Amino acid sequence: MNLKESIESVRNNFRTDSDPFPTDSKSIELLYVKYLGRKGLVSDLFSQLINVSNKERPSIGKNLNQLKKEITNSFKIVDRSSSNIDSIEEDYTLPGLSFPTGYIHPLQQTMNEIKTIFMNVGFSIAYGPEIDDDFHNFGALNFPPEHPARDMQDTFFIDPDTVLRTHTSNVQIHLMENEEPPLRYIVPGRVYRNEAISFKSYCLFHQVEGIYVDKNVSFADHKGILEFFVKRMFGEQTKMRFRPSFFPFTEPSAEVDIWSEKSGQWLEILGSGMVDPEVFKSVNIDPDIWQGFAFGMGIERICMLKYEIDDIRLLYQGDMRFLEQF
Amino acid sequence: MKISIDWLKEFVDLNISSQKVADILTMLGLEAEYGTNYSNIDGLIVGEIKECTKHPNADRLTLCKVFNGKKTLSVVCGAPNVDKGQKIAYAPVGTTLPGEVTISKVKIRGEVSEGMICSERELKISDEHDGIMILNQQAKVGSNFNNYVKSLNNTLELDITPNRPDCFSHLGVSRDLSAKLNKTLKPFDADPIPYKKNEAEKYISLKFENPDDCPRYIAGIVKNVKVGPSPDWLVNRLESIGQRSINNLVDISNFVMMELGQPTHIFDYDKLNSKQILIRRGKKGESLTTLDEIKRNVSPNELLITNGKSPLALAGIMGGLDSAVSAQTKTILIESAYFDAPTIRKGAKSLGMSTDASKRFERGADPNASESAFWRVIKLIEDLSIGDWVPGMVDPYPKKLIETQISLSREKLDSLSGVKIKSDFVHDILNKIGCNVNNKSENQWLCDIPSWRPDLERDVDLIEEIIRFYGYDKIPSKYHYQSIMNANEPDPHKCLDKIISIMAGLGFSQVFNNSLQSKDIISLLKIKSVKIMNPLSDTMSELRTSLFPGLLENIDFNYKNNNPDIMIFEWGNIYKQNKPGLKGIQEKLVISGVVHGYLNKPTVHRKKGRRFNFNVLKGSVKNLMDRLSIKNLTFNQTKNKADGLINCFEIQSNNHQLGFIGKVDTIFSDKMHLDINEVFGFQLDLDLLMELANKTPLFNSIVSYPLVERDLNFVLEENILIGSLLSTVKENGNDILKSVDPINIFRHNSLGNNKKSVTINLVFQSSTKTLEDKDVNHVIDEIIRVISNEYGAKLR
Repeated sequence: MNLKESIESVRNNFRTDSDPFPTDSKSIELLYVKYLGRKGLVSDLFSQLINVSNKERPSIGKNLNQLKKEITNSFKIVDRSSSNIDSIEEDYTLPGLSFPTGYIHPLQQTMNEIKTIFMNVGFSIAYGPEIDDDFHNFGALNFPPEHPARDMQDTFFIDPDTVLRTHTSNVQIHLMENEEPPLRYIVPGRVYRNEAISFKSYCLFHQVEGIYVDKNVSFADHKGILEFFVKRMFGEQTKMRFRPSFFPFTEPSAEVDIWSEKSGQWLEILGSGMVDPEVFKSVNIDPDIWQGFAFGMGIERICMLKYEIDDIRLLYQGDMRFLEQF
Repeated sequence: MKISIDWLKEFVDLNISSQKVADILTMLGLEAEYGTNYSNIDGLIVGEIKECTKHPNADRLTLCKVFNGKKTLSVVCGAPNVDKGQKIAYAPVGTTLPGEVTISKVKIRGEVSEGMICSERELKISDEHDGIMILNQQAKVGSNFNNYVKSLNNTLELDITPNRPDCFSHLGVSRDLSAKLNKTLKPFDADPIPYKKNEAEKYISLKFENPDDCPRYIAGIVKNVKVGPSPDWLVNRLESIGQRSINNLVDISNFVMMELGQPTHIFDYDKLNSKQILIRRGKKGESLTTLDEIKRNVSPNELLITNGKSPLALAGIMGGLDSAVSAQTKTILIESAYFDAPTIRKGAKSLGMSTDASKRFERGADPNASESAFWRVIKLIEDLSIGDWVPGMVDPYPKKLIETQISLSREKLDSLSGVKIKSDFVHDILNKIGCNVNNKSENQWLCDIPSWRPDLERDVDLIEEIIRFYGYDKIPSKYHYQSIMNANEPDPHKCLDKIISIMAGLGFSQVFNNSLQSKDIISLLKIKSVKIMNPLSDTMSELRTSLFPGLLENIDFNYKNNNPDIMIFEWGNIYKQNKPGLKGIQEKLVISGVVHGYLNKPTVHRKKGRRFNFNVLKGSVKNLMDRLSIKNLTFNQTKNKADGLINCFEIQSNNHQLGFIGKVDTIFSDKMHLDINEVFGFQLDLDLLMELANKTPLFNSIVSYPLVERDLNFVLEENILIGSLLSTVKENGNDILKSVDPINIFRHNSLGNNKKSVTINLVFQSSTKTLEDKDVNHVIDEIIRVISNEYGAKLR
C-alpha cells in the first residue's frame, strides 16, 4: 500500500469509527488519541512523507493536511467538556436560540437622553460629591439659616455641618468656585431627601441641574433652552408652560409644566430661574457683570412620565419583569 | 390655603369663571387649583340625621332617621363616622349613582332602608371612602345637593410659595388679581376710630425684653362682652374656606386673619392677673398649657406673652388655655402684633408646632397691618354689638420698620428679561402692586417698597414682579450664545455609557439600588462606614460600603418571583469614613456584577444547560476588558477576603488594580435571610476603568501570513493549575506564539492516579514570513522541555 492509498484507508476508517460519533467523553478521547494523538494514525502518515519522491510530495502533503483538517474539524463540533453534543436541528420553524441579553435601566436611558440633549446645545457635564458641607448645599445657595430644607425632617445629616446633598446644585457652587465664567454645565447625580418611601417618593433620587453663566444670558434664553429640551425629550408637539415660582437660589424663578392629555392636567417637570445675585456673591462672581440661569429636574420624574411608570419603587427593585420592558 | 371666590369679590370685581381665576393666579405664581370632578346627580339632596341607633342584628351597621325637609325616613348606614345632627348627602330611593347603581328600598338584616347616605367616593367627588361625606351645618336640608357642591366649589386651593406671606389672605390675593386684570382694588374699612382720651392705657401697659423679637405690639380693651354664636354671614364666610365657627370673638379674629392676613389674639382680660404685659423669651423649666390643652415645656427658643410672672401665650403661635375667652368672659384684651419672623420660625420649629398664625408670622407679617387689623376687629365687634370698646389703644412700636426703596434700571430689566417691556407698563404695574414709583422716567425707576412685601429687596425682585405680570408666556424664547465654552471633555463619564452597553451586550441587566443600608449588613464588612445622624429607619442608617448586598437582594427578589437565573450589574458610589469629618469621607465609584443560577437553560438547541460559575463570570470580565482595550489582564488569587468575596482574585492590568472577582460571601445572604444559591461577583474601580478605557486603541497592521496550529497533549499531576501551565507556555513561546488555549481536560484511570490529560492548542504566526515546520518545531520542543521539567508532565 503506498502512502496515497494509506491516506484513503485512514480516511475511510475514521468515517466508520466516527459514525455515529461517540457521545461519551471517554470514547471521544480514545478516538482522538487513535487518530490525532502523538503516536496516532495521522501522525504516522506524516512520518512516512519523507519516503515519498520530491515530485509527489506536494500533492500527497496537501492531501494529508486535508485529512488532518477533516478529522480535527469533526472533533471541533463536539462539546468537549460535556457528554452531550449540540443537536443540529434542520427544522427552521423552531424558535431561535436566544442569547443572554442585558437591559439598560430606563433611568440610565433617560439620564443619557437628557445629557445628550444638553450636550447638543453646548453644555458640558460635571459631577461632584454626594456628601457635602452645609455651605455648598445650602448656604451658598441663599437658603436662610432657618429654611425648612435645613431641617432634620427633610435632610439627612452626617454631622451638624455635613449633609447628604439634597440637590446637585452643590456642584454648581464647586464649579463657580473653581472656574471663571462664562460657564455652561449640567450636573447629573444622586441626591437624598429624608422622605418616607411610597409609590411617589423615595429617600433618594437622581437629578440633573444645569447652569449657564455669561454676560447677557437672559430669561428669554432660559426659556429657549428649556423649550428645546422639553420638545426633544417629550416630542415637538408637547404643550408646555413657564409659570412664576420661588426658589432661594433663583430670581426670577419659574416652574415648567407639560400638558398631559392622558390625565387632563398640567404636570410639573422642572424648576428654573435666573441665578440669584446672592449666589454669585457667595462664590465671588460679580453679579453686576455676570448673569445666567439655572434649572433642575428629577430624572425619575421625567423617566416615569416618559415610560408611564406609576410607582417609583420599581426603579430600585431590580425586578427583571420590569427591566426587560425597556 | 383655601380662598373663597365670593370673598375675593369683596375686594375686586370678578366677572370671569372660577376656573379662569385659578388659571390667572397660577400664571402669576400663586398656584391655584379649582373644583372637583363632581358631575350632577339627579335626585340627590341634603339630608339631616335626626336619630342614630345601633342596628339590632349587625355590629357595624347603624339605623338612622334621615329628615329630607318634608319627612323622616329610615336608612341603614355602615359608615363609622355617622352621627346625630349631621347634614349629609342623601340619595333617596330611585337615585342613580355613578357606576349605574340605582337605589331601591331594601331590607338590610331585617331592617328597612329607604335610600342611602353617601361617601365622597360614591359621588365621585374624591377617593375618600373611610366614611360618609359630612356637609357644612349651613347646608339647607331638602335642597338640591348639586347646588351645595356648587357653593362649595366656589373656593380655590392655593399653594403659596414661602416668599409671599402677603398672599395668605384674601386681600393679598385680590391685590395681585386686580393688578393683573387692571381693576381697582376696592377699599375696606380699617381706618382708626377717633377717640378723645386714651382710656386703654388705664387697663394695660407693655414691656419689651428685646424689641428685636417683637418690633410692634398693639393692645386694646373691650368691656361687657357677650360671647355667643356668630351671625350667619360670618359662619358662612369661615365655612366656605373650611374653617369651623367657634364663637363670635374667635370667629372675628379668624375672619380678619383670612381677610387681611394679620393674626390677632383675644385674651380674657380678667385672667391676665396683671395690668402689664411683658414680652420675653421663655425660661428653662417654664411651661404653658396651650389652647389645644397640651402642656408645652418652653425654652429660650420661644417668645412668650407673659403677665410679668407666668406665660399667657406662645407669641405668634398659640394662646394659652388659662387666659382663653370663655362663655363667662366679660372683658377682653385684643392683641395685634408684629413678631420677628426668624424668632417665631425657630420657636414653632423647636416645639414642632405649625398654626395658621405661626405660618404667617414666620414668613414675615406686615407691621402696618397690625394696626389695620386691630381697627378691623374693633369695628366688627362694634358692628355685631358684642361689647363696648374702651377708647384708645396701647401701641409703643419700639422698633419702627425702616421703609425701603429700590432703584431699577432699564438696562438691567432688558438684559435680565431678554425682552423690551414698555415703560408705561412697568410704571403702572409697580404702582398697582404697591411699589409707588417716585419718578416718571424711561430709564430708571425708584420705588417705595410696601410694608407687606418683605420679599422685595433688590432690583431683581422687582424684575420678577414685572415679568410675572407681563406674563412668562409672552417672553420670547431665544437661543442665543455668545461664548464658546472652554471645557476639554464634554462628559467625564463618557466611557460609562460604553461600559454599560458592553455589560448589557454580555447579558447583564442594569439595576439601581438604595445607597442607604442597615448597620447590621454594613458591619459584616470590616469597613468604617459613614453613618446618618437622623436615619429614616434602622434599615437605612448607614451608607453602603459595597454594592453586593443590594445586588443580592435583587437576586432574592427575582428568585422569589420565579426568576432564578440572574445576571445583573450596578454602578454607583460606595462610601468609607477613613478619618473623622467630611474630609475623611471617601466616595468611590465602582461597578459590580453578580450571577446566579443558569447561564443557559437546556433547550431543543442545547441539550444541557450551563450553570453560572466562577469561570463564566471571569470570561465576562475578560470580554469587558477586551472591548475596552484594557490589555495584559491577570487574575491573582488573594488570601484576603476582599470586600465580601471569598475565593477572591485580584484583577490587574499593567500594575493597575482594577478590582476583585470571586464567590460572594454567604455571610450576606445569611444575615439578610435571603433565599438564594451560590452567587459569583466582581467589583471594579469605575473611575480607573473609565480612565483606562478612554485611551484610543491604535491600529496594528493585520498580518497576512498563515497561522500554524499545533495541539499538545500533556499528562499532569491533578494539583497543577492550568493557569500557571499556560503562563509558562507563553513565557517560553517566543514572539511567534500568538495564543495558547486549553481545549480539553481528560481524566481516566488509564492515565494513572491523580493525573489529568490536558490538550492545549498553540497558534503560531510570524509577521514577516510564512512559518515552516522548522521555525515552529524548535519552539515546541523548548515548550515541551520546560513543561516536562517544571511540572513533571509527560507528552501523550
